[in-house]
Amino acid sequence: MSYKRSSINRPPTPDADKDRENQDPTLQEIINIKLIESGEKERLKELLRERLIECGWRDEMKALCRAYTRKKGRNNVTVDDLVHVITPKGRASVPDSVKAELLQRIRSFLASAAS
Amino acid sequence: MSSKINHHHKINGQIFPQPCPHLADFRTRNDSKPFRALQACLRIKPPGGRAAIRRDPYEVPRCGACGDASKPRLYACMTCACICCHAPPHSSHAAAHAASRCIPPGHEIAVDVDRAELFCCACRDQVYDRDFDAAVVLAHTTSSIQSSKPENLRKRRRIDYRPWSPDLRERALMVNNASPIDSMNGSNSNLPMGLRGLNNLGNTCFMNSVLQALFHTPPLRNYFLSDRHNRYYCQSKNGVRLCLACDMDAMFSAVFSGDRTPYSPAKFLYSWWQHASNLASYEQQDAHEFFISMLDGIHEKVEKDQSKPRSQGLMMSSASLLVLYYDKVDTSPRERTRVALVLVEILEFLSNLMKFLLIRCNGECCIAHRVFSGILRSDVMCMACGFTSTTYDPCVDFSLDLEPNQVGSAKTVPKSNHSCNGEADSMSSSQNCGISTLMGCLDRFTRPERLGSDQKFFCQQCQVRQESLKQMSIRKLPLVSCFHIKRFEHSSVRKMSRKVDRYLQFPLSLNMTPYLSSSILRGRFGNRCFPYDGDESDGLSELSSEFELFAVVTHTGKLDAGHYVTYLRLSNQWYKCDDAWITQVNENIVRAAQGYMMFYVQKMFYYKASEKQVVS
Repeated sequence: MSYKRSSINRPPTPDADKDRENQDPTLQEIINIKLIESGEKERLKELLRERLIECGWRDEMKALCRAYTRKKGRNNVTVDDLVHVITPKGRASVPDSVKAELLQRIRSFLASAAS
Repeated sequence: MSSKINHHHKINGQIFPQPCPHLADFRTRNDSKPFRALQACLRIKPPGGRAAIRRDPYEVPRCGACGDASKPRLYACMTCACICCHAPPHSSHAAAHAASRCIPPGHEIAVDVDRAELFCCACRDQVYDRDFDAAVVLAHTTSSIQSSKPENLRKRRRIDYRPWSPDLRERALMVNNASPIDSMNGSNSNLPMGLRGLNNLGNTCFMNSVLQALFHTPPLRNYFLSDRHNRYYCQSKNGVRLCLACDMDAMFSAVFSGDRTPYSPAKFLYSWWQHASNLASYEQQDAHEFFISMLDGIHEKVEKDQSKPRSQGLMMSSASLLVLYYDKVDTSPRERTRVALVLVEILEFLSNLMKFLLIRCNGECCIAHRVFSGILRSDVMCMACGFTSTTYDPCVDFSLDLEPNQVGSAKTVPKSNHSCNGEADSMSSSQNCGISTLMGCLDRFTRPERLGSDQKFFCQQCQVRQESLKQMSIRKLPLVSCFHIKRFEHSSVRKMSRKVDRYLQFPLSLNMTPYLSSSILRGRFGNRCFPYDGDESDGLSELSSEFELFAVVTHTGKLDAGHYVTYLRLSNQWYKCDDAWITQVNENIVRAAQGYMMFYVQKMFYYKASEKQVVS
């Protein structure tokens, strides 16, 4: 499949699109774009991955998923289920040191991007 | 939640999930063309090698419906390239896209733009396709030039294990040439064969403990007891030359003779002192150091036996021939340069060949290496360009660090939740919190390690020193795995040594599959269905990855004033071997002991008392 859209396959443009494009992008969106364009988002993601693996968070989540899958049966579990189940626990168990480090990185990025 | 029919079936020994009906439809309509065409959009990001889908490298994907670029999961429809977000239970524009009545059916299959995984919007679950994974794998291998496979690997033809029982002629042979071992008192005849105390000859508990473990290493025991090394006919011992293997043979005969009085391994100690003269004293030594030195001693004997290895001779003669030829080439400088380059290539090939022969030698040269020698694989990945350099090294044991558990969160983090010794999944039990386990140490051993900025590695692709990521894995498992826990820390910086007393939990049965190179490689790139290295699947089945514990060498006391004790597992009973005293003990005692060296043997060599076998 080439990414050239053929008119036969193209979905009809939803109405919501038109409104959105006319509004100014929010601050959140601007920051997000800046993060992606500078490659900082990718670096932050890699750093986060590394830290979460080091502290055992990923193993913990894996174990939660395994336990849930065993309980429900391998064929009755979808990705959405797993995400839904572990998201609250995952968010709560991120170590404070990791949170602090990433916030620090983001702050320094914003400071350098603002100038 | 939709219930799914997702049965797995095996292709070439790999579990492969059945496609959902929507994926099956998609495949019949489009075959695998869309997946192959997708390859152009696959971007592999070093150093981790994450695959992402981007039409152009700097594209910022946004949801077509809500314009949001910051949703965690964005899916691109495989049919019309429309990007939608999927964030249940809030909005799922991806599901809406698939279900929309305005579009003709066939838009259910989408691909996660950040993870390169297929998703079925109708089933709301991830789906798997071999051709898609093959396309991702291809993108990986073409994006970063992998170094060519080193020459020093040989595909071993596996011989199937067949249990043996003697026929009439063999039985007659055994009866005629064997003499029964007199059992002593009635009480002793209940104990298994080969249990005999070893006298302490002056701080020699380090030697006694390792020897006890070796006496009951099944392949080693079988080798010596079946007279494969006969100390009366051994050639290397002409005159005063020592042969550690002969002394081992003598000890095996003594220990398995049925005599239960403690034995003094004085002859062996003397021979070993001659071999390792720097360790020859009555001071306490390190058991692991003794183990390595002993294996080396048994190996050396074989090397000295043979005439100069043929491979070395071949290399020397070829090199001298080439130099002679080069001298004779009497042409222009440019021609000489060209010839020189060709010669360099030939010499490189020969050196690889020699390495190959030596590595092969390592596995076949002597009984010590045949039993204990495995192959480690080391991958060093450049963080800048993703180029990976792979080396294979032989090893006779695994030395593992006993690092403190990270306590990062407010809750304690349980490590290594796949212990195989019958304990419940440890997420439900809190007793595993903070305890180091052997599998945790192995996890750490095979974890990718970032080499610091002071250890920059020269990347062949970048042609400059770069920061890199190093990962170890096990290419070939030995018959007997010896795990050595680094409890003695010697710091040359602070000029002090200390002992790490922390408790280590070890299982009775160990599955080494997650630490094999095939598993590590597969996990590195997202557990794709497609095998990466065709060489990895040359018969290393799960059968040869299962190990059973049979001996534990423990250390108690301080660094300079301590004591080694060995626990042996025979016929599912545990025996404590404390120099000359051997007692039967409970399994709990062993579990609570401070493991220093753990010996695991491949399951097929470990005969359980319950099965009817010849040897127990």
